[in-house]
Amino acid sequence: MQARHLVERIPVVRRETSALEAARIVATLRTNGVVVADADGHPVALVDGTQVLRLVVPRYVREDPLLAHVYDEAGADEIGARLLGRTVGDLLDDDDVAVQPLAQVLPDDTLIEIAAVLVRERAPMVVVRDEAGTSSGVVTLARVLAAVLALAGQADPGVQRTLAQDLLDLDTEGQGPAR
Amino acid sequence: MSVQAVLAVGVFVVAYLLIATERVHRVAAALGGAAAMVVIGASGSRQAFFSEETGVDWNVIFLLLGMMIIVGVLRQTGVFEYLAIWAAKRAGAKPFRVMVMLVVITAVASALLDNVTTVLLVAPVTLLVCERLGVNPVPYLIAEALASNIGGTATLIGDPPNIIIASRAGLSFNDFVLNLAPIVTILLVVFIGMCRVLFRRAFAADPERAAKVMALQERDAITDSRLLARSLAVLALVTIGFAAHSVLALEPSTVALLGAGLIVLLSGLPARSYLADVEWETLAFFMGLFVMVGALVHLGVIEQLGQLATRAVGDHYLVAATGLLVGSAALSGIVDNIPYVATMAPLVKDLVDAGGGAPQAHALWWALALGADLGGNATAVGASANVVITGIARRNGHPISFWEFTKYGLVVAAVTVSLSWPYLWLRYY
Repeated sequence: MQARHLVERIPVVRRETSALEAARIVATLRTNGVVVADADGHPVALVDGTQVLRLVVPRYVREDPLLAHVYDEAGADEIGARLLGRTVGDLLDDDDVAVQPLAQVLPDDTLIEIAAVLVRERAPMVVVRDEAGTSSGVVTLARVLAAVLALAGQADPGVQRTLAQDLLDLDTEGQGPAR
Repeated sequence: MSVQAVLAVGVFVVAYLLIATERVHRVAAALGGAAAMVVIGASGSRQAFFSEETGVDWNVIFLLLGMMIIVGVLRQTGVFEYLAIWAAKRAGAKPFRVMVMLVVITAVASALLDNVTTVLLVAPVTLLVCERLGVNPVPYLIAEALASNIGGTATLIGDPPNIIIASRAGLSFNDFVLNLAPIVTILLVVFIGMCRVLFRRAFAADPERAAKVMALQERDAITDSRLLARSLAVLALVTIGFAAHSVLALEPSTVALLGAGLIVLLSGLPARSYLADVEWETLAFFMGLFVMVGALVHLGVIEQLGQLATRAVGDHYLVAATGLLVGSAALSGIVDNIPYVATMAPLVKDLVDAGGGAPQAHALWWALALGADLGGNATAVGASANVVITGIARRNGHPISFWEFTKYGLVVAAVTVSLSWPYLWLRYY
């Protein structure tokens, strides 16, 4: 099984994407983060979902955890308001936010080659990019493990669904009107 | 002056310039300077480690270490968050009253703890209160930094320069309280009045917003009541120990270390949690400084300067005190007041000793302390608390430019130093 068979399309965000949209993707797809695309729409980096929360939790609360106990419901409307008007670019420009560049594999790289890259990079996904530099999507950790289970004859319906359905399709189904 | 003394002065000047200009990290400059002193034979293990006159003043180092450990436990109790929220509610969430309460809390806490620690503890909760009030937090943060430097002037442990002065001059905790606390109290009252004028645009009130502050529950900040009770008991014991250290025949450093040992024992916290608050860099910086200045003492350079100063001053101690007060304030606004006081302390000691214990000569110590501590308010880089506050403000999306801080700090430093002069004059001359 090669990368071309495992590749899937996923929702991506750009610098100008709103923080609300980034939060929605994580909340809907239950992913660990959001994938940032370049100007051409090719995935290039991953921002951990916890870092999206940076926009929600005030810095002074992060630096003084005792204040988290004090931050009551009266401030709940402020929590949501923090996402308004903010963009993914705000996260990318924050020096404290770890933006992980995505490792690349070739379309004909094998399952074990992809798995090795994921382990080495401690990454939940890799970009599939051909020698001309064109990206066809990503291979996620979920899909690699699903493929491993399928090879081991352990492909239950959940595993089969992971192999058959792209994250982008799940997102499109879940969100209703197009973005 | 011997060739060795000339070399030592050269090493000292270069290291001081590097510290002042921040061309290299201040710890590297101080330790590098100390190493150079050893290489040229101006210092050695005997002078550096076993003499407080010519080497590391361990009383200062261990007093700082002890207090840092105590603060490391105390900050985990939530007492500062509790106090600040309680104060904001007591002030009826009215912006000016909130600022007054925060300023008073910061000043009093700075007298008992390190200034930097105090602003580190008060600033986050200030941001929370200001956010709820819907007011710009910048004036409140600036006021707290200025208040910490004023409040820290009052006691032996309030500001690192005072710790150096106390050790070199043999002054007690009570000496500082009796001689500096009265003027600091006056300065604090004047400062609060100045806040009303300087930050007059920061007090727009909104009843809806105020209700959000009143809804905060200060008790939520206290997660471990037993730890709080024990920590406050130890802090009270340490403060009593400082006040009675002459009677108990215990150095302040010993009192602080005993307090640190007791609070660590009673808290049951893991070592890494309270040791994380120990500023090892600061301690290493002090050690390097002491070795450098001690080398100049060892070679007689300071003594020669002291003789020159003594001849120049004669018995005109009011002129000397005025020069020390104003000169120290001006320099402390520009460069770190710790190396300045570490250098000046042996020199002032010579002047005071030459005065034969006369109160007019002895008051030079208070002129040095008032000038160095209050002068730190003059600019955004004049004191560590100022640097810390501007850093917190920037990280939280409220950048304070150098000039924005300085336009307030300069006025406050000028007024407080000016008011200190008649105090010195009327009380000691």
